[in-house]
Amino acid sequence: MAAPEVLESDLPNAVALLKNLQEQVMAVTAQVQALTKKVQAKAYPTEKGLSLLEVKDQLLLMYLMDLSHLILDKASGGSLQGHPAVLRLVEIRTVLEKLRPLDQKLKYQIDKLVKTAVTGSLSESDPLRFKPHPSNMMSKLSSGGEEEDEAEEGQSGASGMKSGKGTAKKYVPPRLVPVHYDETEAEREKKRLERAKRRALSSSVIRELKEQYSDAPEEIRDARHPHVTRQSQEDQHRINYEESMMVRLSVSKREKGRRKRANVMSSQIHSLTHFSDISALTGGAPHLDEDQNSTKKRKKIAKKGQKKKGFRRRR
Amino acid sequence: MTTQLLQREQVVTDVLHPGKATVPKTEIWGTLAKMYKTTPNVIFVFGFRTHFGDGKTTGLGMIYDSLGHAKKDEPKHRLARHGLYEKTSRKQRKERTSRIKTVMGTAKASLVLAKRSQLEIGQQKE
Repeated sequence: MAAPEVLESDLPNAVALLKNLQEQVMAVTAQVQALTKKVQAKAYPTEKGLSLLEVKDQLLLMYLMDLSHLILDKASGGSLQGHPAVLRLVEIRTVLEKLRPLDQKLKYQIDKLVKTAVTGSLSESDPLRFKPHPSNMMSKLSSGGEEEDEAEEGQSGASGMKSGKGTAKKYVPPRLVPVHYDETEAEREKKRLERAKRRALSSSVIRELKEQYSDAPEEIRDARHPHVTRQSQEDQHRINYEESMMVRLSVSKREKGRRKRANVMSSQIHSLTHFSDISALTGGAPHLDEDQNSTKKRKKIAKKGQKKKGFRRRR
Repeated sequence: MTTQLLQREQVVTDVLHPGKATVPKTEIWGTLAKMYKTTPNVIFVFGFRTHFGDGKTTGLGMIYDSLGHAKKDEPKHRLARHGLYEKTSRKQRKERTSRIKTVMGTAKASLVLAKRSQLEIGQQKE
């Protein structure tokens, strides 16, 4: 018969606990009553709050009510078998469990709101503190002349900038150190390629393609070469000079050769069979024609049996 | 374009002659004379260049107010084309210089005068 002994040893503990319980219950009731008064006085408007939290509030309350009902029944000696409150409790419990991940997602927002409500301002490391402030860009050193004419926004902005610049120092361009220029072989190659590409772009093949695919009407100009070359420009210049000065200029051998070559290039039969070199556009190495040889290379290509017999004037 | 100082008109002529050879200068004198209502002997044309392919030739020309002005300003070779100037042959000139060299002093002057008279004789022929 250990039961009465256990009961006797437990009795003072039980009494103490019951007293503790009573005190705590009184404190809680006082707080709850205060809260209810406040809620009834509409001090906590929750229309714009998080609906999740409201739902959770209601669920927790219901849970508590059912739990207290169960406790009451059990304390008054009833059994919990098949009690309807148990079912309700189970239902509420499952719903709360399902709400937990949603809670996790909103955790950050809720914590921040709570912190703001408690401290009254944003925390130090809150990223919202680092948003841009365009008003900081305007110079605040100038006098209050900007504050007038705020209706004309553009003008005020411009005048603000001007007055801001007027107080600033005069702009002195930086003195860059002159750099020695050497054109390397690679650069020369690149230049040659560029030139070849430009020439290829204005070649007859590309021109015909352009004419084929463009919507512009076909232009026919009389007496003017549609394809302006350097030679034709020089010729035009020469003609203008001759007609204004009333003299005929002599044509050197080299000039004659160049002209002949230009004529040959532009003559019909030649252009039928020899297409212009557009390898520059297709990616191949530019093929140098004879007329593109630099003077150095021309001197190296010495003709046979042409030694320096006196002074041969090649103009 | 008229140059008052040189008393002449300077022109650039475009001659259109499709299918034919380049027009000779004598014909061009005639045509220009009709256009400018003068005589052909004051018209001096030069520098005719035919463009590639047939049909068009461009040349320069001078049209003087009078023959006297022309004789003064125009270069000798163009006057010769009109027959207004005859060049002394090269051999004659060299002989003359060698003759002048043999004489000294004021005697040279008589030989120089001889040359001038030769020119006038040549002109009077025309």
